[in-house]
Amino acid sequence: MSEEGFDLFKWMATYDKRWIYVFLFIVVIGPLIRPLGMPISVSGLTKDYYDNINSLTEGDIVFDSWNMEFSGYMELKPGVLATHKIFIEKGVKLCIAFGHFEGVALPPVVFKELKSYMDQYDYKEFEDYIIIGYVIPNEAAVAALAQDFHGVVRVDWKGQPIAGTFLDEIEDAGDFALINDYTTGLATTFQIRHMVLTYGTPMAVNSIGVSVPGHLANLDAGLITSLLSSTRGGAELEYLIGQPGPGLKSMDAFTFGHYMLIVFIIIGNIGHYGWSRRAAHRDRTGIQ
Amino acid sequence: MSAFFKSRSTQLTILVISFLLVFIPYFINIPGLDWFSTKLMTIAAVTNAFTIGIAVYSQYKRSGRFIMERRKGWIYHIYLVLLMIFMIFNGIVFGQHTGGYDWLLKAVVTPLSSVIYGILAFYMASAGARAFRARSPQAALLLIAGLIVLLYQAPLTGSVFPGIEPAATYLTNTFGMSVARMFSISVCIGAIVLGVRMLTGKEVAFLGFGEE
Repeated sequence: MSEEGFDLFKWMATYDKRWIYVFLFIVVIGPLIRPLGMPISVSGLTKDYYDNINSLTEGDIVFDSWNMEFSGYMELKPGVLATHKIFIEKGVKLCIAFGHFEGVALPPVVFKELKSYMDQYDYKEFEDYIIIGYVIPNEAAVAALAQDFHGVVRVDWKGQPIAGTFLDEIEDAGDFALINDYTTGLATTFQIRHMVLTYGTPMAVNSIGVSVPGHLANLDAGLITSLLSSTRGGAELEYLIGQPGPGLKSMDAFTFGHYMLIVFIIIGNIGHYGWSRRAAHRDRTGIQ
Repeated sequence: MSAFFKSRSTQLTILVISFLLVFIPYFINIPGLDWFSTKLMTIAAVTNAFTIGIAVYSQYKRSGRFIMERRKGWIYHIYLVLLMIFMIFNGIVFGQHTGGYDWLLKAVVTPLSSVIYGILAFYMASAGARAFRARSPQAALLLIAGLIVLLYQAPLTGSVFPGIEPAATYLTNTFGMSVARMFSISVCIGAIVLGVRMLTGKEVAFLGFGEE
């Protein structure tokens, strides 16, 4: 027991951070295991992204930039899966490149989730999509790829020659109908500089939450054509295409997690206000 | 001959010529120069890939020092070196798609990568909850703006109170975006200044020379 006794305001202002960990775990784990199906709103950003992707036609070749590591994929997963469902349904051809060495582990995980969809539309590797591997690790690589595609890439990620495939139509970045970038990293900036600004190829971005403010500035400046924001955007896209997936399932946990954070902020501020007022009163009067 | 290539003026001359070869084709269409510029960039990309080898060598040297001198955490460096040897051996001998490399990537690296990312949510929630305190009128304004955006980010709020979207969008599209733009412009100006200093020989540390 302290000499002053228990001060509720002080506790509210200085609560142990482990309370946040415990409560966050509790409010998130329940809805993740058993989603409640609460309604969500669809933002204008996601509608624009959907329209952008949906405007592609059969046979269009998209530079599909998997510019993410496995951890980032966990956040972008709903957007990645929903976007690829649109691509597969529309018969869009994909040239898949990685911007991170962990990208090598992603295709089996992603295509396992999409298998039934790919079977339904008879979507096959080498005919409809080609994985060119970890070829955009830095700016020089992106610039070289943008200017002379076949000068940089001659085989796919497993060493099979890409000559004779749909990629024969690609000479430089200007031949892609769209660059679709799932991003946690720097290669987005490189692609904007060397593919968008130089060749005028439109670019859509599916970004993790912390990078969204930066990409909003790119969107406003017309450097990118549309932006899908984090898991929330992925969930909204799932809703728009009528294919519920991991995004919509996680939205209840998102809602509860955000509300819990707001409650803790309010508690902290009430405590701070009460405690500082009491301290000022003590200093003024000398009464404990 | 090696003294010639090691000299500061030779390296700066190569730098300036390389810069011009890549820079000029962006503004003037000269077919031969364009081809050369593309090849130069491909060479740069391949050279960049070789820097991974230098990074591995440097890490071995650093870990070797830690282990030999039994510095704090030396045991983890043994673990690191063993894993690096394991990954390099399997990657070179069996390739990326089979064997130990593939197994280690899928069974160890990827789950750990996800776990670290997941843990960040707890730290960010804790930092956000404790940092948002109205200690001054300016902090109170930040707090109000933050609460509006946080409320909007909760998926349920937008469907229950549609009016939250214009308010949150206004905040992100004005104050948020202006800060993002300021950041981008600052980075670009910094990069241009650094580039000019490098080309004019005022910044030479990257060539391995000491500051003037």
